[in-house]
Amino acid sequence: MTQIILGQILNGIIVGTLYGIIALGVTLTFGITGIVNFALGQFMMIGAYATWHLTDVTHLPYPISVALAVLIAALAGFLSDRALFQFTRNNLVNGLLVSIGLISIIESGVLLLYTATPKNMDFVLSGSWTVGAITVARMKVVTFAVLLTVIAFTWLALANTWLGRATRAYAQNPEAAMLMGVKTEMLQIGVSVYSCALAGVGGALYAGIYSLEPSMGALFILKGVEAAILAGVGNLAGALVGGIILGITESIGALFLPTAFRDAYGLVFLVAILLFRPSGLFGSQK
Amino acid sequence: MSAVWLLLPLYVVPFVSHNEVLLTILIFTYILSILATGFNIVFGYAGQLTMFHGAAFGIGGYATYLILSKFGVSFWLAMLPMFVAILLLSLLVGWVCFKFRLREFYFAVVTLAFAELIRLVVLNWNDVTNGSLGLLVLDKPTVWWPGRGVIKIDGTIAWYLLALTSLLAVTLVSKLLVRSWIGRNFAAIRLNEELAQTLGINTFRYKLLAFTVSNLFAAFAGALFGFYSNYIEPAQLSITQSLDAIAMVLLGGMGSILGPVVGALLLTGLPHIIHFSAELRAATYGAILIAVILLMPRGVVGLFPGRRHVS
Repeated sequence: MTQIILGQILNGIIVGTLYGIIALGVTLTFGITGIVNFALGQFMMIGAYATWHLTDVTHLPYPISVALAVLIAALAGFLSDRALFQFTRNNLVNGLLVSIGLISIIESGVLLLYTATPKNMDFVLSGSWTVGAITVARMKVVTFAVLLTVIAFTWLALANTWLGRATRAYAQNPEAAMLMGVKTEMLQIGVSVYSCALAGVGGALYAGIYSLEPSMGALFILKGVEAAILAGVGNLAGALVGGIILGITESIGALFLPTAFRDAYGLVFLVAILLFRPSGLFGSQK
Repeated sequence: MSAVWLLLPLYVVPFVSHNEVLLTILIFTYILSILATGFNIVFGYAGQLTMFHGAAFGIGGYATYLILSKFGVSFWLAMLPMFVAILLLSLLVGWVCFKFRLREFYFAVVTLAFAELIRLVVLNWNDVTNGSLGLLVLDKPTVWWPGRGVIKIDGTIAWYLLALTSLLAVTLVSKLLVRSWIGRNFAAIRLNEELAQTLGINTFRYKLLAFTVSNLFAAFAGALFGFYSNYIEPAQLSITQSLDAIAMVLLGGMGSILGPVVGALLLTGLPHIIHFSAELRAATYGAILIAVILLMPRGVVGLFPGRRHVS
């Protein structure tokens, strides 16, 4: 039993980092552009399908496919920002609706290109590692490591570089940041694109483990938003922790309680957190 | 009252045109308009971004049908306990949200979470709801008609008249509500909640009222929708259902009585008028939504300044 629980916790952590990378995008976008981009799940899907296409159809090596897929997701993010989201800055409801429109468009596009049949990528990295009684697929470990690296890199960049300080300054006080010479327009575009690229990374790695369906984006954006709120919106390191907590809650919940309600445990947890700690688990109390 | 009477000429349509597709689109438009009108009250007037109306819509269909088939009562009688259930549920969810002072995004997320929880219960309660397969609704509402006695609402024209009459009733109620002191209190809360509170408005109570009314309208629409389409499924409680109604309200024009109707007509009708495959139809829907939000921020009704009232 213990090893099943440990295995579930490990699974939860790995899925949780995927939630975390979307949550990071949600938090960054919300902090800088004032909207929640619900289409981030679809950018994740773009990353996933691009990776699948480049690896299985074009036969490129997996790491190169991942890099190209992230670039494609970033490019799509740039286009969506220029065409749409630049007009919805700091308007939560319009941003929500425009991203919903975008979801329909991207999903239809993927359906037309690749149909609704689930796509399974050939194994990139087969086999598994066994530690004691616990077995973990190698690909999952690699995914976890890459995601963790990307999140750590983002965090370090925000903490140490000029651009990172500018970003944090802008999130705290846009006018003051502007007066200090932060180019706000560029910053907003940059963060918007970076969030989409993050989602693309998540998708590219997801493609190596799970099968792809056009509807995958909807699930992940919900989990991402849940994780972001769990941690407290605006809390960057918290986004990862929030994602992992959510992942573990779900896997453990599914073990002891009916699996059909797997998605419900996270929601119950989220409501409880919001009611008793309105600024999230790691947010400062006002 | 002027805006509501603009709906009256629509009674002529089934006697002029017998085009089944047109009438069906209009019936769906009217039913979904009721849902959108409810959302317009809570968001357009009282400024609370709820995501719960989709769940209320779905429960409306399920509860009415289940009560009807279990106790053998008529459609209208079955709706009474359903309304009581929705009332209690709205009070519970609203009480939790407003007591803990959740606002804007957070209010949206918590109501969304409650709605999702309810959807999961409906989806997995196989004995009662038949799970993801949904339920086939073979009963029809009945009405008393002068000279003809009790008749079944069956066939397109009868449904057209029922849907339009229901919509008219709902718009009238919402018009009376928002024109009254209650509506002015809603507006005060939307514009500045703190100020409203200092003026002695019990904001908690009025937010709860707006939330409850919107869910009751949604449930009414859901019951009509289920019985008209003969089919109830868990997808009717989904986030998509909530979002569609939000899109209709913003498209038509928020905070106006006829805005939701115009929005519902555009979003229900346009994808059918433009003949595309299913995938392209979804894309068209998205494109229309984006275009309207970006190009007409006050909705279609906002283009006609005389018809828009902000109380």
